[in-house]
Amino acid sequence: MTTGQRAAAPVRGAVSLLRAAAAHPAYGWGTAFVALLGLPLLVSNGYQQYLLDLIMINIVLAVGLNIVKGFAGQVNVGHLAIAAIGAYTSAVLSTKFGMTFWFALPLATLSAGIVGAVVGVPSFRLEGAYLALATLGLAESVRIFIAVTDYLGASIGYGDIPPPIIAGWRLDSYAAYYYVVMPIAVAGTYIAFSILHSDIGRAFKAIREDTLAAAAAGIAVRKYKLLAFLISALYAGCAGSLAAHMAPGFIHPDDFNLTRMITVILMVVAGGLGHVWGGVIGAALITLIAEWTRSYYQYEFIIFGLIVVLTMMYMPRGIGGYIDRRLATRRFVAQRRGKTAANMT
Amino acid sequence: MTALLEISGLTKRFGGLTALSNLSMKVEEGEIRGVIGPNGSGKSTLFNLVTGVYPADPGSLVRFRGENITNREPHEIAQRGLARTFQLLRIFVEMTVIENLLVGCHRQISYGIGGALFGAANVRAAERRVRAEMLELLDFVGLADFAEMPAGELSIGQRRLLALGRAMAMKPTLLMLDEPAAGLSPVNVDKLLETVLALKARYGLTVVLVEHVMKLVMASCDVITVLDHGEKIAEGSPDAIRDDHGVIEAYLGKEMQDAEVRAFLRSA
Amino acid sequence: MLRLTTVLAALVAAGMAFSIRPASAEDGVIRIGMTLRMIVENGLKYGQLTAGELNALNDSGGIDGHKVQVILLDDECTAQKGVANTNRFIEQDKVHLIIGSICSSVTIPMVDITARAQVPQISPTSTARPVTEKGSAWIFRTAASERYFAAVHAKYLAENAGKKVAYMYTTDAAGTSFVTQYQQFMKDTYQVDPVFSAQQQETDLDFRSNLLKIKSLNPDVLALAGQSDAIARIVTQALEVGIPRKVARVSASAASNAPVPETAGDAVIGLIFSAAFVCTDPRPEAQAFVKLVQDKYQVRCPDHDWAQSYETAQIVKEALKRAGPKLKLTDASLAEDRTTIRDAFASIQDYQGVVPGKISFCADPTPQCRDGNRTPILVQYTKGGKDYEMKQLATVTFDPDFGLKK
Repeated sequence: MTTGQRAAAPVRGAVSLLRAAAAHPAYGWGTAFVALLGLPLLVSNGYQQYLLDLIMINIVLAVGLNIVKGFAGQVNVGHLAIAAIGAYTSAVLSTKFGMTFWFALPLATLSAGIVGAVVGVPSFRLEGAYLALATLGLAESVRIFIAVTDYLGASIGYGDIPPPIIAGWRLDSYAAYYYVVMPIAVAGTYIAFSILHSDIGRAFKAIREDTLAAAAAGIAVRKYKLLAFLISALYAGCAGSLAAHMAPGFIHPDDFNLTRMITVILMVVAGGLGHVWGGVIGAALITLIAEWTRSYYQYEFIIFGLIVVLTMMYMPRGIGGYIDRRLATRRFVAQRRGKTAANMT
Repeated sequence: MTALLEISGLTKRFGGLTALSNLSMKVEEGEIRGVIGPNGSGKSTLFNLVTGVYPADPGSLVRFRGENITNREPHEIAQRGLARTFQLLRIFVEMTVIENLLVGCHRQISYGIGGALFGAANVRAAERRVRAEMLELLDFVGLADFAEMPAGELSIGQRRLLALGRAMAMKPTLLMLDEPAAGLSPVNVDKLLETVLALKARYGLTVVLVEHVMKLVMASCDVITVLDHGEKIAEGSPDAIRDDHGVIEAYLGKEMQDAEVRAFLRSA
Repeated sequence: MLRLTTVLAALVAAGMAFSIRPASAEDGVIRIGMTLRMIVENGLKYGQLTAGELNALNDSGGIDGHKVQVILLDDECTAQKGVANTNRFIEQDKVHLIIGSICSSVTIPMVDITARAQVPQISPTSTARPVTEKGSAWIFRTAASERYFAAVHAKYLAENAGKKVAYMYTTDAAGTSFVTQYQQFMKDTYQVDPVFSAQQQETDLDFRSNLLKIKSLNPDVLALAGQSDAIARIVTQALEVGIPRKVARVSASAASNAPVPETAGDAVIGLIFSAAFVCTDPRPEAQAFVKLVQDKYQVRCPDHDWAQSYETAQIVKEALKRAGPKLKLTDASLAEDRTTIRDAFASIQDYQGVVPGKISFCADPTPQCRDGNRTPILVQYTKGGKDYEMKQLATVTFDPDFGLKK
C-alpha cells in the first residue's frame, strides 16, 4: 500500500463507523444532545444564557401542549395553570418543607399530572369552544386562588425559591442551570417523539380527527383523552417547576395569566400544531421574537398579532406542518418510484 | 348452535318518536344479511344501537357470540370483533392510508408507554409485522399503491375502499356495512360486490349490510330483513322478499300496479 | 431522521446567531437601565419624565463630561419581564445603575438579581416591605414603604376617629398589603382586631352587600383599598348604602390617582389617604414641579407617583454628580463604577426635593437605610369631580426606628 492509502484507511474506517452509527435510530438524538451541550459556550453573556434557559423551559411547555392539543385535538386553555400548580407546589415543597430541588421537581410534576388528568374529564363530553371555556374557567380559578392565598404569596408573589444544589454547588447561574433544563427538554422531546410515533400517537390522532370513527376502530376514547391530558400536564408541571427554581427564584400569579397562555398557544401554532417538532420550533421562535421586540415594546403586541395573522393565512399548519407536508409528499413519491422500479425488474 | 348476532326486543325512543320497536333478529355465522326499508325505517338506528353509539331502551338485548353487548362502549364492541363502516365514511383524512389501517390494528399492537419509550426490539418487530399485514390488506382492496398517501387526497371511491379496509384491519368476525354502495355507478357496485364476497371468503366473515341499492342486496344476501317505521315487516330469502306484498307497499305505496312493481323489483 | 436533525440544528443555530449581538458598551458613557410599566398611559409618562430628566443632563455636558445613556424598557408590571429586562441590563447592556420598577411584585425579584450581580438599583414607586427587608446592600427606594403609610393613617385615625375599623378591599397586591399593614399596626399598637373584614375580586363591580353589613356594625373607620377603580366604586357605594359621613373613610395611596375623585364625584369628599405628595403643597419647589407637569403633560394635579418619579430622577442626578469624579467608565472598571455609584447613593442625607419628606440613605443593608422617604403625608379630598381638590391634613416625622422591629 502507498502511504496515502495507509493514511486514508483509518479515515475510511471512521467514516464507515459513522455511517453505521447514523443508521441507528438514536443517532440523531445523540448528536443533537452533544451539540446542545456546547451551546452555552457560543453565547457571549449571562443574559443570552438566560434566554437559552427560557427557551428550554418553553420547549417543555410547548411540547406538552402540542401533545394534548396538536395530537389529541383537545383544547386545553388550562395548560399554563397546570404549570402554575407545578411551580407553586415545587416552591412550597422546597421552601416550607425543606425539600431539595431534586425531590421537589418530580413531586411537583406528579401533582400537576394528577390535576391535569382531572382537568381532562370535561373533555369526555365537551369539544372545541365549549371545552375551551371549561378549561379556561379552571385556569382562572387556579390563578385567582393563588392570588388570594397568603400562604402562596398572594399577589405579591412567592420568592426565595432555592436553586438546585449539587454536591454543595448552587446552580443559580444561568449557565449552570442550562445543564439542568437542557437534558430535561431533550428528554421531554424524545419522549414526545416516541409516544407520538407509536400506536398511542395514532390513537391520539384518530381521536383528534373523529372520536366516533376512532371508537368504532376499537380505541377507548376516554382512556386516551385522559392519557393525553395526563401526559401534557406532566410536561406543564415540570416546566412550571423549572421556571420556579430558575434564578431569582420568584413566581407570581400573573406569570401564568391568559396573555401568557396565548403566547404558549402561539408557540405551538406557529411551530406546527400536531407536528412532532412543532413545540420545539415554536418555543425557540417565539422566545427569540419576544427578545427582538424587547427594545420596541410599543410594537410588541402588533408584531405578535401580525405573526398570528400571517401564520393563519400562509402557514396554517405552522412551520412544522409545512415540513410535514413536504416530507409526506416525498415519501409518497419515493414509494411510487420504488414501485415503478420493482415493476420494471 | 347460537347465532353469531342475536337481537331481541330492541327498542329506541327519541322523545315522542319511536325509531325502533321491539325488533328481533338472528344473524347466523357465515351469513350475508341485508337490512332494507324505506327512509326513516330505523336502519341506521339499528346499526347505532348494536355498535353502542346510542344507548338502547330497557328491555333490549343484543348478544354477540353469546356475550351480552347491549349498551357497551363502542370500542369494547369493536374490540370483540364487530366492525362497522359509516355512511359518511369518517376516514382519518390527515393520516396516511396505511396509518388509517394501523389505527384499526390497535387491538393487536397495544404496547403502552413503556414500550413506546424504550422502543424495544420486539416492539419494533411487532410494528413491522403489522405494517406488512396491513400492506397486504391494502393490496387486497386495491390501495397498496397509495399506502403513504395522505388519506385526504383519495377519490371518493378509494375512500370507500379505505373505510372498508380500516374495518377489516380489526380482524372482525362480523362486518356491518352502512350503505356501502350509495351513489356508486353500476360498474362500481359490481366491483364492490366482488370485493365484499372476496373478503368474506378469504377472512371467514359474517356480513350485515344496510342498503338501498337493490341490485347489491339481491345479489349478495342470503337473508334479507325488511324494516318499516321501526318494525320488522318481513324476513326471508331475496326471492321471498321480492314477492312480498307488505314490502312492496312499504316502499311504493298501495296505488302502484303489481306488474309495474314486479318489473321494478326485477330490474334491481 | 438525520436530515431533520440537521435542519433543526441549523434553524436553532441561525436563530441564536441572529440574536447574539456583541454587547457594545462604549467607554466613557454612564449607562442607566430603566424598567417600568410603560404600556399604561400614566406609566408611559412617568417613564418619559424620568428618562427626560436624565437625558437632559447631556444638554449641559453630562456628568463631569461623561455622557448619560438611558435605556428604557417595558415590564408590563410582570415579574417575568422585569427579571428578563434586569438580566439584559446587567449582562448585555452592562449598565451602571438600574431604575425600577413601578410594581412591587416586579421590584422584589429584581432585588435578588441586582444584589447578586452587585448593581445599584433604585425603585421610584414600589411600596412593598420586602423590597428593603431582604437585606440587599444594593437597593434604594425613593418611595415610602407601605409600613410608613399604614402607621401614618392608622395612628391619625385611631387618635381622631376611633379604633373600630371595618375593611373592604380587593385581591390585588395594593389592596391586600394596605389592609394587612393596617390590621397589623392596629393589633400591635392598640391590641385591636378588625370589626369586619371582607375581600372581593379586583374585577367585582358590586360591593354593596358587604358594605351593608359594615353599616350595621357602626364602625369608626371604613378602610377601603384596591386599584383606583375599585376604590372609586367602594367609596361611591358606601355612600349609596347609607354609611354615614361621620364614619371616616381611609384608603391606600392608590386613592391619589386622578380616576378616583373624577369617577366617584362628591362621594370622595372626606376620603383620607396617605401619600408621598399632594399637588396642593404650597412649597415653591412643589408648585414649580406641578406647573412643569401641567405644561408638559397636561395633567392638572400630578399624584405622588409623578412626584416620586421626578424625585427619583433628581436623586439619581445627585448621586451621579457625587460619583462623577471617581468614575472610570471602562469595561474593566464596571464593577468598581457600580460600587462607586452605590456608595454615592448611600451618602445622600436630608435631601429636600419635590416631596415634602426628606430623602436620606445610609450604607447598611437595612430598611432604615434604604427606605429613603420616611415621611408620608395625610391627604383628604375636599371636592370631587373633574376639578377635584384635596388638602394636606398632617405630616408625621418618624425617628429612624419607628415601628420597625427586628
